[in-house]
Amino acid sequence: MTPAGTAVALRGVTKAFPLGDGRTLPVLDVGHLEVPAGGCTVIKGRSGSGKTTLLNLIAGVSVPTDGAIVVHGTEITGLPEARRDRFRAERIGYVFQNFNLLAALSALENVMLAMMFASTVPRRQHRARARAILDRLGLGARVGHKPGQLSRGEQQRVAIARALANDPPLLLADEPCASLDATTAGDVLEALLAVCREAGKTLLVVSHDELVLGAGDRLLDMARINARAEPAA
Amino acid sequence: MTPVAVVWRYLQGRAVSSALTVVAVALGVSLVIASVLLTRGIREGFIAGATDYNLIIGAKGSPTQLVLNVVFRMDAPTPNIPLGAYEDLRRDPRVEAAVPVAMGDAYQGFRYVATTDAYFAPFPWRRHAPELSAGRLFRSEDPGKPDYEAVLGADAARRTGLRPADRFFEGEEMAAYPLTVVGVLRPTGTADDRAIFISLPSYWEMNEISRHAAVRPLTAVLVRPKRLSDLTALHRGWNVSPEFQAALPTAVLLNVFNWLGVVEDVLLAVLAVVTVVVALYLFVTMYNATLERRREIATMRALGAHRATVLGIVLLESGAVAALGGLAGILGGHAIAAVGSSLLAARGGPVTHALAFGLLQPVTLGAVVSLGLLAGLLPAMLAYRTEVAEHLAPF
Repeated sequence: MTPAGTAVALRGVTKAFPLGDGRTLPVLDVGHLEVPAGGCTVIKGRSGSGKTTLLNLIAGVSVPTDGAIVVHGTEITGLPEARRDRFRAERIGYVFQNFNLLAALSALENVMLAMMFASTVPRRQHRARARAILDRLGLGARVGHKPGQLSRGEQQRVAIARALANDPPLLLADEPCASLDATTAGDVLEALLAVCREAGKTLLVVSHDELVLGAGDRLLDMARINARAEPAA
Repeated sequence: MTPVAVVWRYLQGRAVSSALTVVAVALGVSLVIASVLLTRGIREGFIAGATDYNLIIGAKGSPTQLVLNVVFRMDAPTPNIPLGAYEDLRRDPRVEAAVPVAMGDAYQGFRYVATTDAYFAPFPWRRHAPELSAGRLFRSEDPGKPDYEAVLGADAARRTGLRPADRFFEGEEMAAYPLTVVGVLRPTGTADDRAIFISLPSYWEMNEISRHAAVRPLTAVLVRPKRLSDLTALHRGWNVSPEFQAALPTAVLLNVFNWLGVVEDVLLAVLAVVTVVVALYLFVTMYNATLERRREIATMRALGAHRATVLGIVLLESGAVAALGGLAGILGGHAIAAVGSSLLAARGGPVTHALAFGLLQPVTLGAVVSLGLLAGLLPAMLAYRTEVAEHLAPF
């Protein structure tokens, strides 16, 4: 069980990658971590400190070698893969460093795509909801554009809209501003924080960007969370 | 969005590659469809054009040449036989019907076939006797009084534009003796459609005028015995003669079908190779596309797509390309078969029903889509097994 008001809890979570020669490379060892519900929690850490691995484990796209991960009261490490996929589609939004939009789809279709994998929003409302979210993020005039026709800042806004498509209570963002210039990064971060606060989402961001580190309600250090991480210089 | 919409966008996103793959599949399917339609059309053309006469008497030589020339109007005519042979057969008590035939020159590519009105007689044992669609048959039976009347087969009338009462001739020396069209036959689907029938006296007279040869030759005599048990004796009796041969049309047809069977076997082997090449092309295209999209596949999985969903999307795309290629190939195959059969027919080849729709089309489409799904299976498994975290990583 996790205390009420906890969005994410990790207990004794380790992750090691096989090296192919029978040995493994341990990259993560988190004894205990709780992320409170609501607000923006930022986890800082150097490259290679296990930030992305931690987010992937919380999102359920990879499984820990050991330990338990609870997201909004559901222990995702105990779920079969198909149920974990469904849980992720409906309860977790994911914003990637490189946006990861589908090149053949328009901005609107990229947002609607996320709804295809969940049953949170009725099918007949997909288009209207996607349009409304894109409008809210200032992309109302760009809904029919393909990712290649959008600026990098616009692409990341589409990615944020996609993460919000199924109205998940938890948003994960992996270095959301790392691929953007300083001005654009500021605008995108502001938009991300604004929509999450408006809708009362829990936002968990991992970053080593000073701009992001100063924007959160709580700041955690990967060096303290992960026993395998090297301490910051 | 639906998986179908995603597949459609993927196909649009790689329009050139998708179109080339569809064209490759369509070409392969066209070859299969055209080959099957044409070989089947030729086989059915031979069956439809087969004669109801059991025996053909002609000059010594190749029985295949005799039957192909007299019945199907193919190959060169065999040497002539004397009129006496026909008279002997007409007097033979074992013979129910004997019809003399002389193969002449051609008018605008349509061969003159000289015969008697017995050629058109609706004997009860005939499957389909030629019937008139307009006019009447020629009536001359008096060898001394040629009437220069002609009855045209349906194709010959249509292609030459000749109608009853029209007059025509081939060669300057015949200008003073033009033939008059007195009748046109209904289409029969046989070589008769491409023939111009004239009476034997007219033929002999034309021969005399153009070649200055006062002979009354025949090419062959079509024979129907009264009893099938007499067939063997008639066949053997005429074959022992040094001048004549007696050919069994069914035996010759069987021989032709054996050759067609060999051609079909070779064609089948070629088509099998074509099928493998097309399937491999489709496989390579889908495999490369899936490799290129592993990041997008990982993204879809990270958004909550099940493994089965991404597998389904790849299979659907492969199946859609195959289905589009299959449909285009079926249409293309029919177009090739139409051109092929009309070229063959224009050269006197027996071909019918080349464009007939039946089980072939749906079975081919089903097979192509199945092959497409099979070609997409390995790429789909690649998508299914894509390691999400590994392919989400930044470039």
